[in-house]
Amino acid sequence: MNKITNYVRSFFNGRHVVIGVPYLWFLMLALVPLLIVLKISVSEMESTSVSSMISWSEGWPAIKLNFASYVFIGSDELYVQTYLSSLKYALLTTIICLAIGYPFAYFMARSPKHLQPMLLMLIMLPFWTSFLLRIYAWKTLLVNNGVINNVLMSLGIINAPLEMMNTPFSLMVGMVYSYLPFMILPLYANLSKLDMRYLEAAADLGTSPFKAFWLITVPLSKAGIIAGSMLVFIPAVGEYVIPELLGGPNTLMIGRVLWDEFFSNNDWPMASAVAVVMILLIMLPMAIYNKYQSEQSELKS
Amino acid sequence: MAIAPKANSVREDLLRVEGVTKIFDGIVRAVDDVSLTVATGEIFALLGGSGCGKSTLLRMLAGFEAPTKGKIFLAGEDITNLPPYQRPINMMFQSYALFPHLTVWENVAFGLRRDHMPKEQVAERVESMLSLVQLTKYAKRKPHQLSGGQQQRVALARSLAKRPKLLLLDEPLGALDKKLRETTQLELVNIIEEVGVTCVLVTHDQEEAMTMASRIAVMSEGYFLQVGSPDEVYEMPNSRQVADFIGNVNIFDGVVEDDESDHVTVRCTDCLHYVGHGISGNSGMSVGVALRPEKILLTKEKPEGEYNWCEGEVTEIAYFGAYTNYHLKLNSGKVIKAQELNNTRDLSFGLTWGDRAFARWSDLAMVVLTQ
Repeated sequence: MNKITNYVRSFFNGRHVVIGVPYLWFLMLALVPLLIVLKISVSEMESTSVSSMISWSEGWPAIKLNFASYVFIGSDELYVQTYLSSLKYALLTTIICLAIGYPFAYFMARSPKHLQPMLLMLIMLPFWTSFLLRIYAWKTLLVNNGVINNVLMSLGIINAPLEMMNTPFSLMVGMVYSYLPFMILPLYANLSKLDMRYLEAAADLGTSPFKAFWLITVPLSKAGIIAGSMLVFIPAVGEYVIPELLGGPNTLMIGRVLWDEFFSNNDWPMASAVAVVMILLIMLPMAIYNKYQSEQSELKS
Repeated sequence: MAIAPKANSVREDLLRVEGVTKIFDGIVRAVDDVSLTVATGEIFALLGGSGCGKSTLLRMLAGFEAPTKGKIFLAGEDITNLPPYQRPINMMFQSYALFPHLTVWENVAFGLRRDHMPKEQVAERVESMLSLVQLTKYAKRKPHQLSGGQQQRVALARSLAKRPKLLLLDEPLGALDKKLRETTQLELVNIIEEVGVTCVLVTHDQEEAMTMASRIAVMSEGYFLQVGSPDEVYEMPNSRQVADFIGNVNIFDGVVEDDESDHVTVRCTDCLHYVGHGISGNSGMSVGVALRPEKILLTKEKPEGEYNWCEGEVTEIAYFGAYTNYHLKLNSGKVIKAQELNNTRDLSFGLTWGDRAFARWSDLAMVVLTQ
């Protein structure tokens, strides 16, 4: 008995408790829901809910798995296309965010120290208004009789309104606008820590500032580039609101399909299967990258 | 005091700095009207405490700062306005600034590749540099996998790889611990001499400057207090600041009594100094007499004669093995330092705390400071 209480006591020491809290959080709020989604995806739909996975026949439990949804996803051209276009738009968003965000973060990190908190504040300022409102605001800017077209027409630059709304263009504007801060912040955090002596050393060894940027600054900010790209790419793949409000018939993204399956078709297993495939699509490249990274660091040591 | 550098008097000047001034933010005079010449093959040290302007001067030589006034010439060519990447000057940075994402090999090759040197030649040069600093085995490692001493050698190899006309060393041994420093110092000098590169080094460590450099400039508040060979600066300091900065020193304040061409006497509170050489001054003048601790001999017996000794009480004893440092409190309350060599294994030298003792020194041991 004594032994058991000792064991229990040693298990519940401070260190275990402290590390246990985030583990518990992760377990309850990420892993368990994910398993539920996984379970639903292989169940069958009954009128208002899904069938239970385990059925009892003659006192023995029988597990019933239904992979019809996955088979359907694989065979239907529409799903494959939608996944591909989701990946395409997410990738495009990431690249544009990086192209805009990197110089942004670079000059922020190089600006006078006393200005930096204010610049950081400006990056985060949009978060103070509702995300939905900001997307709607873009709508009023981009529609045919919206602000941009009206101004351009009254200036005589164009005669007919530009078709901007509900096109890939409006989708990309909304996506880049919304995700840019998530690219800038990790990049800024990384670039502001860059030791300027590396650039001096490069200059000393005969490197022009432009070359030094590509040879020193960019490689050394790799961690920031990866973090920012992940933060943009992963949520962008599953984005629903922006394609729904700013996208058009040509800009099908998986988030909208998921929504339709769940709320319009009321097909929970299908919606879950779509979600599971999406998660796999995102996690696979990440896992491969991680494996590569750890192999690299093992090689080094 | 400007005496030509001993070994280099026949060589030509490589670096010439003319009246260089650097003013930061319109008010801070970091470097104030400094002129100097460095001969080919010379190792020249800029020595001074923090904020004395030595690093700013070095950064102007490298091209990272532009002088507010004055000109810098390298081998007769005006390089004042040349950007750092166009100067035939390389620098070994303080704490090295090795590129963390590149291997040792790539670090050393970095400057060569920027010059579009053919591949085979780059490889050849890198190999020879790495063997020079004995790091051939570590070519594939990243800087963080090396010890401090190895990193220092990579930094040296990288800065020498392009065969610069002038090598700048910024606190080259500052990041190493004391034991490693002594061996590295000699190694560094050997390599620099083997390559035959002219060198300007910046340090706050007077021992480092004295062992490595052929000439030293002692800096304070942006200007040179004294320029000379290590022994000149040590044995013939031209001011209290230099005497105080280089090594330990006792300074007696006094008044010149007898001013002859071959000797002077200086009356101080605790003693009378008889200096065995003439000075540029006159009797009645207030001067300081600088006396190094190692030139003082402590005895229990009262010395003969009336000058070059004083009496006091032993207040501190610090045993260092090879020598022992004593603090002697004189009758006026002034405390002087004396350093005695422990040249026998006899532990019963006999001076202990509270003892009365006499300090004496020869008539060529001190320097009269008129400034």
